[in-house]
Amino acid sequence: MTQKIEVDFGLCESNGVCMGIIPEVFDLDDEDYLHVLQDEVTPENEEQVKEAVRQCPRQAISIRDE
Amino acid sequence: MTTSELVFDPFSEDFFNGPWEIYRRLRDEAPVYHNDEHDFYALSRHEDVAAAYKDFETYSSAYGLDLAQVRSDAPLDAKMIILMDPPEHRQMRSLVNKVFTPRAIEAMKPMVTEAIDRYIAKANPKRFDVVGDFSAFFPVEVITQMLGVPEEYRQQVREWVDTSLHREPGQIETSEEGMQAIGESMAFYYNLIQERRAEPQDDMFSRLIAAEIERDDGERTRLDDFEIAGFAALLGGAGAETVTKLVGNAAVTFARFPDQWQKLLDDRSKIPAAVEELLRYEPPVHYNVRRSMREVNLHGVTIPEGKPVFLLGGSAHRDPEAFTDADTFDIDRDRTEAQNLGFGYGVHSCLGAALARMESAIALDRLLDFMPRYEVLWDDCKRVAMQNVAGWSHVPVHVLR
Repeated sequence: MTQKIEVDFGLCESNGVCMGIIPEVFDLDDEDYLHVLQDEVTPENEEQVKEAVRQCPRQAISIRDE
Repeated sequence: MTTSELVFDPFSEDFFNGPWEIYRRLRDEAPVYHNDEHDFYALSRHEDVAAAYKDFETYSSAYGLDLAQVRSDAPLDAKMIILMDPPEHRQMRSLVNKVFTPRAIEAMKPMVTEAIDRYIAKANPKRFDVVGDFSAFFPVEVITQMLGVPEEYRQQVREWVDTSLHREPGQIETSEEGMQAIGESMAFYYNLIQERRAEPQDDMFSRLIAAEIERDDGERTRLDDFEIAGFAALLGGAGAETVTKLVGNAAVTFARFPDQWQKLLDDRSKIPAAVEELLRYEPPVHYNVRRSMREVNLHGVTIPEGKPVFLLGGSAHRDPEAFTDADTFDIDRDRTEAQNLGFGYGVHSCLGAALARMESAIALDRLLDFMPRYEVLWDDCKRVAMQNVAGWSHVPVHVLR
């Protein structure tokens, strides 16, 4: 079973907290749109991704089991 | 040993004067507190408050933002995003949120700096009221300028908001003066909207007039005057009250913890961390009120459906289960220990957070220049007695040489 990162773009307001925690996964472009550069949760990024989920002020990020 | 009865009354003198001991007892003795007199509930532990903020289905915003509104169960007389649940909330908030992203706010730094410097330039080092001469004025200048309120009316907006939120001890409902202030401000916004309809300008009023929104039935329509005035009243109010309180709280808190002020004098790069710690330690907003939409069972207490529930972020921030040495003001603390709820959390988290952070950071930077060493004239300090926001109306200081 893999775990995938999901972003609700209707909730995201480009605060960039996630990018501050793990820029390898979350990136805000010049137009202020968030891109998930790598949507798979791995043992290497898991801790930081979970931190990004928790710290998102809008609670726009979630982790989904596939 | 006798224990006094535990009473949490957000409209009491005790509360306005600093509720920390009451919060401690709430967390320990009554994490799901019920106020018998006014029939409301209060959550005080970090874990519970954070969870409730996230759970907008159980804890609705659509019945009001204060005790008087939520308990009346009457239809609301205002149309504001703070008083909406998803999905309507999402549609309406999306009309304004691009204006407030950290990047968009960064572009406004020169305007904000100019507004702040205008008041610092007039400051008298012998006696300077950090709120009354400074932080009361610039936040409302900034937000009303963004909205498109002409310069000569900007401080009037602040006075209307102050009057409508003021509470005498024991007063829960809005006073007659408060209702009058709300009426006057709405009439003012209506007139301004008509002017912008006739002649659009580069401001938020004009953009809201031009915006379209998808309604529940799928139809796309423009906003009406009432909806635009609601935005203006909300943003004006939120923008006018909160940073004002944070900066006043900063002067008081740093006077009590001078070693922390010294840290900032030594290293200005710590200013953003100091703003976060102020938001935790002395937040301008101590609570939000929600309405329970179903029966909730928590810590052995049942909250029935349809009750006002206070989410006490101010208490959550002092919860020792969430923060190490929670009652210590430490700008270097580990901020990842628990979520800072100073801007709320979830769908209603503060729209203006980036603006508030920037205003506060610039204001602190200027205060460090102006009053590197200062003493607070404690006898002349005065707290506000208001609902939804907490802090000081007067914090006079004397700058030391």
